[in-house]
Amino acid sequence: MAILLMGHPNVGKSAVFNRLTGANITESNYPGTTVDFTEGYTYIDGKEYKVIDVPGTFSTDPKDEAEKVALDILAEHDDPIVVVVIDSTKIERGLYLAFEIMERGYRTLIALNMWDDAEKHDLRIDVVRLEEILRVPVVPTVAISGKGISTLVEKVPAANRVDIEDLREKVTNL
Amino acid sequence: MTDTKKLSELDYGEKGVIKKINRSLKDQLLGRGIREGKTIRMDTKQPINGPVVITIDRSTTSLGLNLAKDIFVEVNNGDTSNGSS
Amino acid sequence: MNLDPEERWRLIDKVARETVEYGTERSTIRSVLAELTVKPLTGIPFALAVLYGFWGFFDAFAGFFTDGFFVPLFDDHWLPWIQEAFPLKGSWLYYILVGDPEAINSFEALGMLTSGFFVAIGVVLPAIVAFYLVITILEDSGYMPRLAVLVDTVLHKIGLHGFAIVPMILSLGCNVPGVASTRTLETKKQRFMMMILLSVFIPCGAQLGVMLSLIPEYFGYIMLYLVTGFFVFGWLLNKLIPGRSPEIITDVPPLRTPTLTNVGRKLWVKVKGFFTNAIPFVLLGVGLVNLLYLGGVISWIANSLEPLFTGWFGIPKETVAPLIAGFLRKDLAVAQLSAIDMSGFQLITSVVIISIYFPCIATFSMIIKEGRKSGGVIKVLSGSLLTLATVVFLWGGLLHLIGILLGVT
Repeated sequence: MAILLMGHPNVGKSAVFNRLTGANITESNYPGTTVDFTEGYTYIDGKEYKVIDVPGTFSTDPKDEAEKVALDILAEHDDPIVVVVIDSTKIERGLYLAFEIMERGYRTLIALNMWDDAEKHDLRIDVVRLEEILRVPVVPTVAISGKGISTLVEKVPAANRVDIEDLREKVTNL
Repeated sequence: MTDTKKLSELDYGEKGVIKKINRSLKDQLLGRGIREGKTIRMDTKQPINGPVVITIDRSTTSLGLNLAKDIFVEVNNGDTSNGSS
Repeated sequence: MNLDPEERWRLIDKVARETVEYGTERSTIRSVLAELTVKPLTGIPFALAVLYGFWGFFDAFAGFFTDGFFVPLFDDHWLPWIQEAFPLKGSWLYYILVGDPEAINSFEALGMLTSGFFVAIGVVLPAIVAFYLVITILEDSGYMPRLAVLVDTVLHKIGLHGFAIVPMILSLGCNVPGVASTRTLETKKQRFMMMILLSVFIPCGAQLGVMLSLIPEYFGYIMLYLVTGFFVFGWLLNKLIPGRSPEIITDVPPLRTPTLTNVGRKLWVKVKGFFTNAIPFVLLGVGLVNLLYLGGVISWIANSLEPLFTGWFGIPKETVAPLIAGFLRKDLAVAQLSAIDMSGFQLITSVVIISIYFPCIATFSMIIKEGRKSGGVIKVLSGSLLTLATVVFLWGGLLHLIGILLGVT
């Protein structure tokens, strides 16, 4: 079973990866630090999962070689669980990628990373309501310090496929 | 009073609402959250036809000047409302 | 099913309105600094100050450890001790491992256990540590994309764009990750150009460290000549290679304070990599060159290439040996040059040629690997070899010409 960490460049995917696998890959504060994927392993409820740190991508329509690597990884895994890592301060454009991934029928889970930054910038996100609407687990995290990672791990088995037709109807009627 | 100009013509600190993005660029910017209807702020322009730096919502992006010419922005002189859609 | 983009955004806007509340954003010292570093009027002086600070730190740190600690350690203790203690003086084994029994400094002994260890640990290690300390801080603070915005204007003139500064800076540490990071450039043309320019004109941290320690007085001229070459050949390649050069689109992330643990971790990874990947190559390089000397191969190559070396480049034929070592490690090659008797200008020329004649083996294999993704190995490889040959011949010859015109050869 594979867990793919996907998200925009520079949202902390590598930091989440390190937390999940105990690996030591390096992080930098600029888009495109990770140009190749890294694999690691983690155990959840006694089950082994392969975790892959996927290079950052803005959408499922690749614009450069690093994004192509990202989409190849998505395509070559059989029914993976996708953890969409989002920079909480830029939640809207993060959701755009999350939608694209959910539309493709993947089991999805959302990590609202850099949650501390959102708090600092006085940005309030109603996580419970967001979960209710999307029907996928949504977990606030601060991967650098490890906050929220244990909850993220707990929720991995609950990653969910979304019926986009339903979602569209529900959101339109909000 | 509103008036529409190219993003490349905005002044430092000037804000406006994106009215139209030319087709060629549109797809490339969609995933970055740069799209019609959003409020955009010009942060800086680099000299000698250098890139512009803009902010939308809470994310800052740098764009080449020629790309900025493909984005049309409605500038509201006087009142700078903060509406996001 | 797939939504169309317009509809996707319409839904997300509704979801956001339901779940996200934007409070007031206060400006902080950090957000003010974030803006100042990207505005041209304040950003450019700031960038120059950063570069200068970078340089000053590198120089002071590497100088402190190399000259203050490792040079006395190796020259006064290790070298005389091993020259005496190693048995079989006069044998080929002694020659390969210890080198010259009369040498009084570790650069000129040229044995694996003398010069090899000294260059790797005494000179290159402090340079690597100093370099990565600074690069890590630049990376983690979020300053790199700001620098990218500031230099975009200049780099766009040669068909690249500002973000190319990231592979450039990484290459100053080591060309291998530099070449790997060209993947973030959009078109095959940009990636190909960048790989060539990096591997030819950007000396790596190890080489910089040796240059700074051995020939500080020529360092500026050499760098100036290499940087000029970067732009001249960048401009030419841009004209010659077909393909698009799209403009920059990049996120400018907020500034952050680098964390000690991440900086430490990165530094540790680099130092560990240096011990496992670099040091064996340095030692191997010394050994190989000594073997080739003993077998008479070096003097044979030197004699056959003499017309090219003395006639065209204006450097002594003995520089063939360092050039061979340079296939393995550029830092070692520069160190071996110092043992050859030549004029200052010849030294400058030969260091320039060492830098541009061929990427080290590690960089070369990375180019082959990346070439697969950037238009096919054969195309990239033949393209780079052709460019390389042209660059070495023209840029090396031109320097000789400059020397003749200045009357300094």
